[in-house]
Amino acid sequence: MNRRDFLKILGASAAGTSTLTAPLARAERAPRVVIIGGGVGGATTAKYLKLYAPQTHVTIIEPKREYQRPYGSSEVITGQIELEDIVISYDDLQTRHGVEFVHEAVESIDYDARQVQTNGGTRLDYDRLVVSPGVSFDFDAIEGLTAELAETKLPHAWDAGDQLLVLKEQLESLPENPTVVIGPPPNPYRCPPGPYERAGLIAQWLLDRGDTEARVVILDPKNGFTTDYTMLHAWNDLYDFNLPEPARSKYSDEEWAQLTVHEKTGPIEWVMGELGGRILSVDAEAMTVEAEAGTFKADMINIIPPLKAGQIAIDQGLADDSGWCPVDQRTFESTRHANVHVIGDSCIAGAMPKSGYAANSQAKVLAIQLKALLAGNEPVEPVFQNTCYALAGNTDVGMFVADVFRMDGDTIARVEEQRYLPFDATETEYRLAALYQHNWMKAFTEDCFS
Amino acid sequence: MNRQISKGAMVALMVGGTAMTLPLYAETTTTADPKGLMAAQTCAGCHGTKGYIEDSAYVPLAGMPRERFITAMESFADGSRPSTLMGPLARAFTDEEIAAMADYFAAQPKGRAQAIGQAKGQTVEQGED
Repeated sequence: MNRRDFLKILGASAAGTSTLTAPLARAERAPRVVIIGGGVGGATTAKYLKLYAPQTHVTIIEPKREYQRPYGSSEVITGQIELEDIVISYDDLQTRHGVEFVHEAVESIDYDARQVQTNGGTRLDYDRLVVSPGVSFDFDAIEGLTAELAETKLPHAWDAGDQLLVLKEQLESLPENPTVVIGPPPNPYRCPPGPYERAGLIAQWLLDRGDTEARVVILDPKNGFTTDYTMLHAWNDLYDFNLPEPARSKYSDEEWAQLTVHEKTGPIEWVMGELGGRILSVDAEAMTVEAEAGTFKADMINIIPPLKAGQIAIDQGLADDSGWCPVDQRTFESTRHANVHVIGDSCIAGAMPKSGYAANSQAKVLAIQLKALLAGNEPVEPVFQNTCYALAGNTDVGMFVADVFRMDGDTIARVEEQRYLPFDATETEYRLAALYQHNWMKAFTEDCFS
Repeated sequence: MNRQISKGAMVALMVGGTAMTLPLYAETTTTADPKGLMAAQTCAGCHGTKGYIEDSAYVPLAGMPRERFITAMESFADGSRPSTLMGPLARAFTDEEIAAMADYFAAQPKGRAQAIGQAKGQTVEQGED
């Protein structure tokens, strides 16, 4: 910033229309939307806003110069893809769509002046602010777990990045027939089927290596998870997995009778919440995990701590006591600060899961709503969709959850329809779901970032 | 990676999309029924922005004739056309929404660049700077 600009800011009126440009009345100039976060939610909002309302000035504030997609990133650990395969460029957003980027971190938000300040000294005025910062992790919830240990010995690898490579290295260094502990987080969390897909991928990797006595123990605070109906069934077929008795409630008596009870079980064990799966503490030195069911000694420990909204949303007062951000679920406008919209994993969105597809769907609805609101019109009645694909472990066996969502009063509710492959799904259907899963990675990424 | 898949199963689940020649719209949102746009944009996470997709297992929707879209959704919904997840998704939309989506996709121009913009050398309309 030069001296002249600085004086301009000093001389700006207290009404908050300070700007580095000619001071036009708000209605006379192009509306300005500033977006914090260049992940799925932020990128999709920016792209669709430029498609739907091209005259809008759209700026994304994102410290990273390229994005790493967390969706599908467990495949980096087990070597189906490389880290470079999850790296996504911001070039298309800039050259094709005219989105501006400020590669700095947010320092503060002045809600009254409608201005964001970065740690690089940039000040950005907005008419509407979009906050889409993903998730942060509550390491304090599990005794013995720290942010430092997550970078070294106990990676969660739940936000892409180098932790994936640490986990990959750990996997490749495991002794013969090891015990791997995976600790999925309590609800709500990002990517509901993800921890179980990862367990399957690791089990398959160990079997492929010839480790017939390996154990992959899932210590779970929950009694169920999205896609469990198909995932547990697939494991029963693929990995000689015996379903724990309390899982009976997920199936009809007829279906339950069709599941195999294996004499000798395969690698995967699922310790449900009601069977003592909740993790209390971890000892990185001794490599033990203390759960309600007892102590588990492991060669590799992958605990995903409880999640909360992205740190910036918490720091800037957008989250409530739950750790997530309350919003008007029609427009995603924060209930705590006007003209600020929170989308994606950080927001409380009724029945919608915290998934990439959900963030993408919310972002497109938000683009329509922002166009209306900036023009002084009423918001539109939203429709949302979510589709999450997951692999059983064997990458030719796929499954999904698919839902449409609509407003029910002031809350986003799920339209009651079949969500999963049926119990009697054929091998072809499981194979097709896997084929679509791999096609989806590319198609979805393009919809968000290109 | 090698993925073997039964060809018959694939053919049963795929349909070609020959695009019709239709008037081009500079900006779809000003012309599209808001219901159609709202519902249609939920498809894009798999079928591509505005239904444009290439070299994919997903069927392109941009430029699909109106009746073909409606027939496909109806036959997914009643199960006469096999699918993995399109059956439940098709059932979750109203007839009115499906008709509006069909209009939206039929109205998309043939060329992706016309609809979504050029990647390079494009002059982007900017507000005052």
